[in-house]
Order: sequence, then C-alpha cells, then structure tokens
Amino acid sequence: MSTAVKNQLRVCLLSVKYNIMREMVNKVTFLTNISFMILNNASILVQWFILFRLREDVGGYTFREIMMLWGLTAASYGLSHILFARAFSLPELVIKGKLDAYLVQPKNVLISVITSSIRISAIGDLLYGIILMAFCRLGLREWILAALFLVTGTVVFTAFSLLLGSLSFWFLRMDILENQTVMGMVSFATYPDGIFQGLSRFLLYFIIPVGMAVWHPVHVLARFDAGMLLTVLGYTALLAGSSVAVFYRGLKRYASGNLMGART
Amino acid sequence: MRKYRVIYKSVLMENLQYAANVAMGFFSYFVFIYIFVKLWEYMYRMPGERIAGYTKEQMIWYVMMTEMIWFGSNVASVANEVAGDIRSGDIAYRINKPYHYTLYILTKYTGEWSIRLPMYAVFAAVIGMVMVGPLPKFGLREVPVMALCVILGLTINAVFKLCISLFSFWIEDTTPFQWLYDKVILVVGTIFPIEIFPEILQPLFKLTPIYTVCYGPAKLIVDFSPEKCVEILAAQLLYLVGGCGVMLLVYRKGVKKLYVNGG
Repeated sequence: MSTAVKNQLRVCLLSVKYNIMREMVNKVTFLTNISFMILNNASILVQWFILFRLREDVGGYTFREIMMLWGLTAASYGLSHILFARAFSLPELVIKGKLDAYLVQPKNVLISVITSSIRISAIGDLLYGIILMAFCRLGLREWILAALFLVTGTVVFTAFSLLLGSLSFWFLRMDILENQTVMGMVSFATYPDGIFQGLSRFLLYFIIPVGMAVWHPVHVLARFDAGMLLTVLGYTALLAGSSVAVFYRGLKRYASGNLMGART
Repeated sequence: MRKYRVIYKSVLMENLQYAANVAMGFFSYFVFIYIFVKLWEYMYRMPGERIAGYTKEQMIWYVMMTEMIWFGSNVASVANEVAGDIRSGDIAYRINKPYHYTLYILTKYTGEWSIRLPMYAVFAAVIGMVMVGPLPKFGLREVPVMALCVILGLTINAVFKLCISLFSFWIEDTTPFQWLYDKVILVVGTIFPIEIFPEILQPLFKLTPIYTVCYGPAKLIVDFSPEKCVEILAAQLLYLVGGCGVMLLVYRKGVKKLYVNGG
C-alpha cells in the first residue's frame, strides 16, 4: 500500500517537474510571466492603501489582516494552479472526449488528469502570496499554521473546481459555470468577510467555500481558535472526498471519443 | 471606408449569433458589482456622507459604469488575436489583403462591442436601479454625448492594447504587459474615481489614458457638467490621434521584422 502511494506521489512530482521544464523552453517568456504576475498582484495594494486612508478598518480587518488575506488567497490559488491546473479545465477534456489518454495509464486516473498541466503565471501568484505573508511578521506558530492553511486552501480551490468540472459528465456548458464560479470565488476571497452579511455570508462560507479557503484561516492566524481550525480541516476533507466521489461517479458515464491523441 | 463597413457588418451579424454567450458573462459582472456595493455600504457610515465629493450612490454608479465599459468591451481581438496572429505567422495572410491590418482589427473590435456593450448597459441599468436606486441629476438629454464619450474611451483603450500586442513582433508573449496595463486601468481608473487619490497624484493621472478611457466617461454619467464634458472630449480626441500615430508607427516598424517561413 505504502509503495503504491509512494509511486503515485513520485509520478505526481515528475509530472509537475516535466510541466515546468516544458514551459521553461522559452526562458524569457517564463520569467516575464512570473515577474509580471507578481507586479500585477502587487498593483492591487494601491486599492487597500486608498481604502485605509478613509477608514481605520475595512470590514473589521486591519491592513495586516488584509495582507494575510491576499497572501493566503494568492498562494493557495497559485499552488493549486501549479500542481493541479487541469482540475480547472476538466470540462474541456470531458466534452471533447480527451480523457481516453489518461484512462489507459496504469496509474490513478484522477491524479494523472489534474497534474497534467500547469499555469506558469501561478508561480508568480505563489511567490507573491509568500512575500506578502513575510511582510505580516508572523511568528513560528503562525508560519506553521499558514503552511497548513496553504495546503487546505489549495485543496479547497482544487476540490471545488473539480466538483463543478465533474458535473460536465452530466450537464453541458459546465465549463462556463466552473470558470465563472471559481473566478467569483477568488474575487470574494480578496475582500474581508465583514462586509457581507446574512444569506450571502452563509453562502460564501458553505456553498461557495471562500470562508473555509481563506476567511476562517485568516481569523485563526490573527487570533488562534481551535474550533475554527477543526472546522476548516473537517470541511476541507469533506469537500475533497465529495469531489473525488463525484468525479469517479461521473467517469462511469464517460463516453469515449474517436479522437486520436496522447497525454501531453 | 466601404470595405470596413462590410467587415463591421459581418462581425456584427456573426456576434449576434452568440448573444446568449455574452449574457453568461453577467454573473462575473454581478459578483464584482455586488462586492463593491457591500464595500461602499460599509465605508459610508453616515447617511448623506460624501467621500472625495461623491455620495454613496454616485460612487457605486461610478464603479458600475466603469465596469460596464470594461466588461462590455472585453473582447479578444485587440489583445490575444493580434498577438496570436503574429506569433503563429498568420499575420502573413492578413497583411496582403486590401485593408490595413490595424484598422481591420479595430473595425472587428467595434463590431464585437456593438453587441456586448448595449447588453451590459441594460443589465447595469437594471441592477443599478434595483440595488442602488436612480442616479440623482441624471438627464436623458445628455445621453448621446455620454455615449460618444464612452465610444471614444473604448476606442482609445483598444488602440493602446493593440499597440501592446504589436510588440509581439519583438517579444514572443505580450500577455504579461496586457495584464499590467489592464490592472493599472482597473485599480486607478475603474475601482475609484481620480478624486479619491492624494491631490499630488491627481494631475499626473489626468495625463494618463486612465482619464480618457474610464474616468472621463463614467464621471460624465454620474456627475454631468458641460465644462467637464468639453474637457474630457478634447482630451479624448488628443489621445486618439496620438495613440493612432503610435500604433501605425509600431506596426510599420514591426512588419519589417516579419519573416515568413513555409509550412
């Protein structure tokens, strides 16, 4: 069992490594993509400087907490698009019948699929997130928690996208829904939860899981709360389990295409 | 001009077929506006309070208008298509046609937003009326001049984005430069009106495309004044002429670097 897991993990890492090597063929483009994504993200700080000139807090968050929010969102979004980018474009594979190349491989289908591509600019997102967290002057315990929340945030982003993408086994046009919902999730995740109240707040915690991906983690980093930490861990495990189950349930409905292709 | 009219009409007819796809983008627009409605509701704590001279309603309508312009003109032709044509070499098939390539792209772009923008305008008006209420002092008599200002703003934006894409003649991927340009326009001109920035920066921003692309048109919609209108239109005409000059120059220099390989 442990050998199988080790083998799978090795294949995963090799897949990510080759994805990066493939993108590094043109080094100038590779570096420009990463550095400009960092600049692109950094430019939004202007917005927060302006808002904090008007009020001492925004939605109950201090400037430091906003930096944590942005840091965690950018890093989680970045890591999910470095390791599991294909989970964010699964409907394309399903609709066009391109899953065949993964079904014939002697490894786990889901992991092979979601690790088969990378978005290079996501490295810029990850680096930006880490830089921003470094500016928050976290202690050792906070760094350990931040690393844990980076993992849970990555899993929540990936699992949520996988769950929506897997619905394309049943329904058409899920690519548009998946794309818009995930982008909506990222938009919400970069603003403090204090500005949302009532039903929208409930939806953003439990249905579109922004709260579990970043808001709860930022609260725990600012003031440790074991209950919130366990809620995040429990929700992440539940969402990951559900998305995997829905993917394999949907895979049984997959009708192979007559497209000739190989895994790239 | 006739050939460009034919191109415009054919792109318009083609895009009419995909009007339903455009409507699917309303969700992202709504999310963005919803966030800003909530944000400004939090920031304005007293009824009747003004921030940088704007009431809460004006501030939200400002964002709705700039975002309407942004989403309504967000088409691939001036950015991805031009860069893609240059990278793939397809431009070789386009530059020998009886039209100027850059004007062809601008005409195509106009045909694309001619469907998107009115749809977003109607959607913005509906959600604005529902979520914020009517704009005080908004007059229907000024709508034609506001529309002209929006169209000029869109065209100036397209010219600048096209200039960035044309740099693909020298560098392989111009997408990161497009991100940065978009983000600067978004942060400085779309989310906030210029008056909200420190006074020392405001004259500087008025010299940038931000003033003519999004601030000017949105300002006229939320707080119209004839003097401001003349000032913004004059700035837009200057920018348009200057921008087109730069675009044609970059294009002329760029095509000289073009190598055509067989295939």
